[in-house]
Amino acid sequence: MPFEYLPIMAHNSAPKPPRVIATPKRRAWCPITKPLNESRVALLSSAALRLANQEPFTPREDLSYRRVPSDPNSGPIIIDHHSGIGTVPRQDPEIVFPRSILAALVADGTVGALSPWHFSFMGGVRRHQEIENELAPALADELATARVDIALLVPY
Amino acid sequence: MPALVIGTAYDIMSKIAPPRAAFVDHPVGRTFGPPHDSSRHHAVLSRALAELPRFSYSGEIRDIGCQWSPGGGREWEAELRAEMLHDR
Repeated sequence: MPFEYLPIMAHNSAPKPPRVIATPKRRAWCPITKPLNESRVALLSSAALRLANQEPFTPREDLSYRRVPSDPNSGPIIIDHHSGIGTVPRQDPEIVFPRSILAALVADGTVGALSPWHFSFMGGVRRHQEIENELAPALADELATARVDIALLVPY
Repeated sequence: MPALVIGTAYDIMSKIAPPRAAFVDHPVGRTFGPPHDSSRHHAVLSRALAELPRFSYSGEIRDIGCQWSPGGGREWEAELRAEMLHDR
């Protein structure tokens, strides 16, 4: 029986109402058209990640995103997400953002190529309509510009 | 664009129903394993990627067989619950 997160989230939201989990009215599906070893891959993370020289995520309801270089040698990752679970991931952000492992899988030929950028934003934001109408389309445009074939989203 | 969610929260993924979801039975915030355990990180990501061609419908969640404790113990749940309830 998997661990249940929703009751704890509801408890933590009080006295505010529990977060609304939006179930899509129409389910999305894009078929995979290339094998993984010919595909360009990008990571997306809701952990509010950035490099030290990038602008911090500040407000809890931040709707911005950062382009995080996919090259693991571009600098250490900073986790700005306000969640209290961050103590362990801050010891090694690879456990929520496997940038180095993905680069290694490209090097050994398992994955075709890396997007020049991965992308990160603030999870847990309640501005659902703006996420749907602004943030999500902006990220989709970024992924298309980078000619990404497969997007890997790691929720935080 | 094809997308795969690699996540630890089965109940949330069931509600949101992303197109493809690989379930990792780890505590939230430790999706790919303990800090600095690169062989474990490699194994989790490789398993998730290997599932990609096996998804056949939108909203499918596939358990990729990654347990947090080597013997499958659930002791981590009490610690995580305390950590999360403290996080208010």
